[in-house]
Formats: sequence, structure tokens, C-alpha cells
Amino acid sequence: MLAYVARRLLYLIPVIFGVTILTFVLFNVVGGDPVYQKMGKHGSEAEIKILRHELGLDRPLPEQYLFYLKQCVTFNFGRSWATNQNITDMLTAGIGPSMSLSIPAFFITIVLSILLSILIVFFRNGLMDKLLQVFCIAGTCISVLVYVILGQYFFAYKWGMFPISGYDSGWDSRWQFLALPMIIWVAVSIGYEVLLYRSAILEEVFQDYVRTARAKGLTEKVVLLKHVLKNSLTPIITSIMMEVPLLITGALVLEAFFGIPGLGGMIYQAVANSDFPVIKAMTFIGSVLFVLANLASDLLVSLVDPRVEFN
Amino acid sequence: MLKIWFLVLALITSITITSCTKKEDKEYDHFVHYPIKANIKGIDPIHSSDLYSSTVMAQIYSALMQYNYLKRPTTVEPLDADGMPKISKDQKTYTFKIKKGIMFHDNPCFKATNGKGREVTAEDYIYSWKRVADPKSVSDGFWVFEGKIKGFKQWQEEASKAGKTDYSKPVPGLEAVDSYTLKITLEKPYPQLLYVLTMNQSSPVAKECVEHYGPEYQNNPVGSGPYKFKSWVRNSKIILEKNPNYRQETYPTTGEPTDAANGLLADAGKKLPLNEGVIFTEVVEDQPRYLNFRKGVFDIAEIPKDNFDTTVKNDELVPELASQGIRLGKYIDDDVTFESFNQDDPIVGGAKAKHLRQALSLVIDPQELITKFYNGRAVPAHGPIPPSISGYDPSLKNPYKGPNLEKAKALLKKAGYPDGKGLPELQYETYAGSTGRQIVEYFQQRAALIGVKIKITVNTWPEFLSKQKKRRAQMFGMAWSADYPDAENFLQLFYGPNGSPGPNNSNYNNPEFNKLYDKAAVMQDGPARNAIYRKMVDLVVEDAPWIFNIHRKQYVLTHGWFKNYKRNMMILNHIKYYTVDSALKEQLKKKL
Repeated sequence: MLAYVARRLLYLIPVIFGVTILTFVLFNVVGGDPVYQKMGKHGSEAEIKILRHELGLDRPLPEQYLFYLKQCVTFNFGRSWATNQNITDMLTAGIGPSMSLSIPAFFITIVLSILLSILIVFFRNGLMDKLLQVFCIAGTCISVLVYVILGQYFFAYKWGMFPISGYDSGWDSRWQFLALPMIIWVAVSIGYEVLLYRSAILEEVFQDYVRTARAKGLTEKVVLLKHVLKNSLTPIITSIMMEVPLLITGALVLEAFFGIPGLGGMIYQAVANSDFPVIKAMTFIGSVLFVLANLASDLLVSLVDPRVEFN
Repeated sequence: MLKIWFLVLALITSITITSCTKKEDKEYDHFVHYPIKANIKGIDPIHSSDLYSSTVMAQIYSALMQYNYLKRPTTVEPLDADGMPKISKDQKTYTFKIKKGIMFHDNPCFKATNGKGREVTAEDYIYSWKRVADPKSVSDGFWVFEGKIKGFKQWQEEASKAGKTDYSKPVPGLEAVDSYTLKITLEKPYPQLLYVLTMNQSSPVAKECVEHYGPEYQNNPVGSGPYKFKSWVRNSKIILEKNPNYRQETYPTTGEPTDAANGLLADAGKKLPLNEGVIFTEVVEDQPRYLNFRKGVFDIAEIPKDNFDTTVKNDELVPELASQGIRLGKYIDDDVTFESFNQDDPIVGGAKAKHLRQALSLVIDPQELITKFYNGRAVPAHGPIPPSISGYDPSLKNPYKGPNLEKAKALLKKAGYPDGKGLPELQYETYAGSTGRQIVEYFQQRAALIGVKIKITVNTWPEFLSKQKKRRAQMFGMAWSADYPDAENFLQLFYGPNGSPGPNNSNYNNPEFNKLYDKAAVMQDGPARNAIYRKMVDLVVEDAPWIFNIHRKQYVLTHGWFKNYKRNMMILNHIKYYTVDSALKEQLKKKL
């Protein structure tokens, strides 16, 4: 297994290399010129030239690319072009608020989704199953903006159950601001997750071993919880692990509407401002996280399914 | 089922956190609670091109001059300067006396005085302005001095060539005669100098603080203004508290005739600032900003487009809000929105395409535009100069102001494209944004009425700017807000030598206009200069490098407990004038 992990970690190198090339090419070919934005509305030709030089944009592209690679290797991404902040500080400041929102919301979603999907399967083809499916599909189709706008208006403004928006970095006081976005996160994600888990569980329900278990006289509850659920975990784990990198990079819409100073808003601002150093850092970190999550997913699957071998 | 879960979760969570939400932070009762529409980039005068960062900065830093808070048209007055400057006969030398006893805020960066802020001197101004010019600062504010102060541009160029900035090297046009006397020598008369000396990039910073904090100075600003920096959670909120050592400055005693009736002179003569501090909350989305205002979290709010009809009826505040003590103020902004034609473009540019541009100007119905997209919050623009700016001529009537489809068709025919025949599809560049996009589509539909086809390309903001600055955009829409109260700030947008990548992005280059601009550029405000401005406006109206759309109006809501609000986009250091009546606040909040 160690050899497998080492091999997978080595795969990181070509993946990251590919991602850096793609990011660099995309930024230089289709991205706007950050210099014009940074200069404001009055920039003269001479000032633009000076700024281009100071930002290193007048250097040959291969040299700029090598500099980017060096930054990736040393984990020193320099400063943001838009805000002049140290990017490491930006990441450190943003990761707390983002994860304070995403991790609890994510776990609540997963637990509720698994419970609901088992419930649906238990009552499969009945009224409960059909109703839940309808709600899940409807919930998936409704835009997150609708949840946000209605949630803010009714729960926060009309009924005063939560603050409308804002954030407090204190460990105790942050939850009052995170509660409503967390609920919305759960409400938005649960439909999709339940449908996914339901189909994963249903695929197992008709397997021969399930029939055998029932034939042995096991109750439906035992069959579902002890046998079916365990075997359905492979696609569920894969799906969960693929979402883990997104927990760190934040929830863009929720952060923007609720004024949570997380990484989602930071990424959005970086793209809007052609803030290449931040885009570079986030793309690099995102791809590393994605590869690691993929690896973790494979390892976890091997734990629940002994048939999985590391070749 | 999903909704039931939603409600159950909401209930459980709200019960759990009820104790937290009850926590009322009494400490900030006498503070101004001010929402900001965008994330603040930094609080350092070398980076002050965006309005929102500049607004925060203007409370912390001071400047030689400021605008009178109440007088209109906007007039400049001394702030740190001890009286108006002495100006030489040739108008090229300005000598400022600086008030004694203006202190920087106490801060650990003042090691020599154990953290006690020291006095601001003339040398601080020179250092601060050199910092704006320093290529390493990558400042966006040098345009206010570039080519204006004698030898300053060369100083910057030499620093850039050397790759290292020598702050000890003098700038020929800047001299600290003594600690309290600053002498500025100009390349040529610069009538706007006093205006630019109100801006953040001209504010003094302390060298020892810049060196102490290094690149983190923008997160630890130390100024000499009415408020001290307390804390900043990036992308969330900034807290500034009253500077206890702020110099003697008082609320203005005179203003416009209506100011007394509007209660704006109730605090005349009182020492500033009139409140204990300000909390700037960064809220980028309209809905939470507006709802927070309605809930009493913020003292002030603009009305989002989507909430306008439930807030204002028949141009008056709806009774429900009025009964809550909320007030409505209406102000015409010092700006202009326009569609621009690239004069370098072979189809829409140059003298031969003049009739095509005039025809397209005539297809737009400004009243329809204002009603449909601005909830009536705008006035039609006949030229580039907004009504409250010196140099505006109310008698100007643009002959190409629409709607007049018959005249537009006739002009299109004259341009060589009868009913649009022979005219290729025009390319219109815009950037993402729902209202902006809708306005462009409206223009597209109106142009189709005379047979002109327009293709719209939506860009990101940086792409959009790049296309303009590289002269690759055939047509595009923009707005320009005044930097200072002088029509020159708008007319420079048509001055040939300012072509892209300078601010003249239509690349209009009319020798007659340029000559008049050069002549007016060295003249002081007055009827003679205004007459030249009018000639320049007539030229751009006739040549139509822009379609002049509208001047926007702002409808601003304030709570009853929040007093002395009077909007002017150029006055950024306005927080010091506001008062918060906390007893009334407690009373009125119960009604919200």
C-alpha cells in the first residue's frame, strides 16, 4: 500500500505541471491585462510601462512561467496585484471562515443524506419514496440564490431569527452569523446527495447476496444497515471525497451574500481583478487538494471493500 | 419534506444561538454604521483609485485642502493648510503655510517618542508625494502630479531607470522652506492643483511608520485625520475610532439656503468629529445591505433597483418607511454615462462616420432609458459636463438627443447607409452585469429600428478594459465620475494626447478641440474659461464621439437618528460631520 501511495503522490508532479501550464496559458491568452485595471482610469503610457516592469510582465513568457513554477515549489506566491496583501496571509485569513461554514454544513448534509436515502430505500416505491424524490429533485433545481434571498428575507429580516449578514472572528460569536448560511447549504445540497446515495443503495438492493440475506430470514432493517449500506459506500465515499477540496476553497455565493470573509470571495475577486498571483496560488492548491482527495478516496474505499487491491 | 427539514434545522439552530444574537454591542452605539459596496483593497494613500478604499482612507488621513461640506457649487477650503496658499503672479508657484500642532495618530511606529504621534511637517508632504511617484510603490495616484509639479516626472523616470528610488534626491518643484512652509513650483499653471490637494494621494504619511510596517503599512495605516485605525477583518469590517488628539476643526456655519431648514446647520460651530467612530461594513450584495439598513444595523443605504418600487412611490418615500423615521434624500451625481465610438475604427470613427454616430445618438429615448433601467433616477445628459460642475451650461441643447427616428434615418442615409444597407454589423463591447447588459440590449433594439445591426460581446472587466486601452473596441459603454469639481475633468476625456491607454478611450482627436483645451488648461475658473468650455462641448456634441446618455441621481435613505447627511461624491472625509442620536435610535429601532 505504501508503494501505491508513493506512486500516486508521484503522479502529482505531471498533474501539477499540466495545471500550471494550462493556468499560465489561459491567463496570458484570454485573460485581461491587469495593468490597465491597476492603473485606474488615469494611467498614462509611461506609467503603464513602469507598472508592467514592476510587476514583471515585461519579461519573456518562459521566464515568467519558470518564476511561477518556483513559487509553486517554494509555496511562496508573493503578493496580490489587486490588494498588495501577502497571499499566504490571505489564505490563512480566509480558510478559517470558509471552513467554519463548510465543514459543519457538509457533515450535516452527509449524515442527513445517508439517513434520508436509507429511509427512502426502506419505503421504496411507496408514497414516501415518491414524495421525497419529488422534493429532492425540486430542491436540486432551485437556484441557491432563491434560498439565499428568501432565507435572508424571512428568517433573518422578517422573523429576526438570525443576523442578516456579517461575520465575527470570535470562536463563540461566529456561529450566530454562520447558522443561516449553513442551513441554506444543507437545504441546497441535500436533494442532490440523497438522490445520489439512493441510487447507489438501490443498485445494491437487487444484488444476489441481498436476496440470500433475506432468504436467511434477516429483517429488512438489518439487511439495509448491515449489508447494503456497507457495499454502497464505495460510490458514496468517492462522491464525498471529491467534494472535500471545495470545502476548503469556500462557497462563493453564500460567502458573498452573507459577508463571510472566506476563500470563495477571495477567488471571485481574484478572477474579477485578473489578480494572477492569487489565481495561480488557488489553482495550484486546488489541484493538489483534488489529487490528494482522490488518493484518500481510494484508500478509504479499500478499507470498506477488501476486494480493492493496490496494483 | 425538504422544507420541513429546513424549518426544523432553522428552529434548532436559532434556539441554540439566541443567546448570542441578543448580545448588543453598546460600545459602538455612538459610532456611525456605514455600509460599503465593495471589498476594501488597502488603506494606503498610494493606492487610492477606487472610491470605496478612498472613502475609508479619507477618515484616517488628512490633507492640505478639503471641500466645504455644505456649500454648492463645491468649493475648496484649507484643512491642514493655514489659510489659502500664496500664489505667484505667473500662477506657477504655490506657497502653503501648514498649521502647527497637527499630530500623527499615536502608534508604536513612533519609537523615538514611545508611540506618541509626532507633528506633521512640510517634509512629510514631500516624502509622501515622492512615495506616490516611487515606481516601486506601483501607485495609481501619480497622475495628479505627473507633468504638473516641476521635475517630478523626471524624478520618477530616473528612479525607474536606476531600479532604486533615492528619496533624498530633491524634486525641483517641491521645497520645504521650513517645517511649516511648503513651496510647490509647477511646470505651467495648473488651476486644479487645490482640488487634487484634497485627495488621498496628497495626504501626509510618516516615514518612520511606512518603514516600520513595510508592505503591511496598508493594513496598519497611521494618519493625522479625525479617526484612528482600530481593526480590520478583511472583506468584512473596518473599525475606526475618534482621534482624541484631532486638531481644532469645527462644523461649517454656512451653506446653501436650504441647509438650515433641512437641519444641516444644527451643529454649526461644534468641534469635529461629531461622533465616536465609524464601522465600515463591506457588503457587496444589494439585498443584505438594504435589509440590514431596514433592520437598523446600518445608518444609511442607497436603494437597490429591485427594492425601489416598494420603497418609493410617486417620487416620495412610502408611508410605512416614513413612519419609521426613515428619510429620503435625492442627489444628482457628478457623473455622465455614455456610449463611446472608437475614432480609430474605420467604420464608426473619424469625420466621415459623424452622421452614423449622430444617427445612433438619435435612436435612444433618454426618458425611456431612465424609466426602464434607473427607476427614474437620472436626468438626460446633453453633453459631458454634469449639472453641478463648474463649467456646466444649462442652455446647452444637444441637437442629436433622441428619440427622433426620422432624423436618424435621414442622417444614416447621409452617412451612406440608407436603411442600414451596406453597413456591416457593429461590434459593441460590454462587461458582465445584468443592468448594463439590459441597457446595451435596449440600444441594440433601438438601433435595429433604423436598420443598424449591433453585435454585443460580453467581457470580464479586465478584458473590457484591455480592449479599450489597446484601441480594439469599436463601441462600448462607460460612465465617468468627477475627480474634482471642474469641467476640465470631463473635457480631458476628448483631448487628443490623452488617447488610449490614457483616459480618452474614444481616441477623439480634433485639433481645434485640443487647441482650446490647451488654452483653457492654464486658465482659472471664470466666465472666460467657461466660454471656451462651451465651445469645446459644442465640438464634441457635433462630432459625437460619444452618445451622451444620462447623469445619475441617487436616492439615499437615512435613519432618523443619523443626522447631517448631505451627499457629494467628491467629499470623501464626510464621516466627521455625522451625529448619531443613540436615545432616538433606541426608540426608532423598536418601530423597524
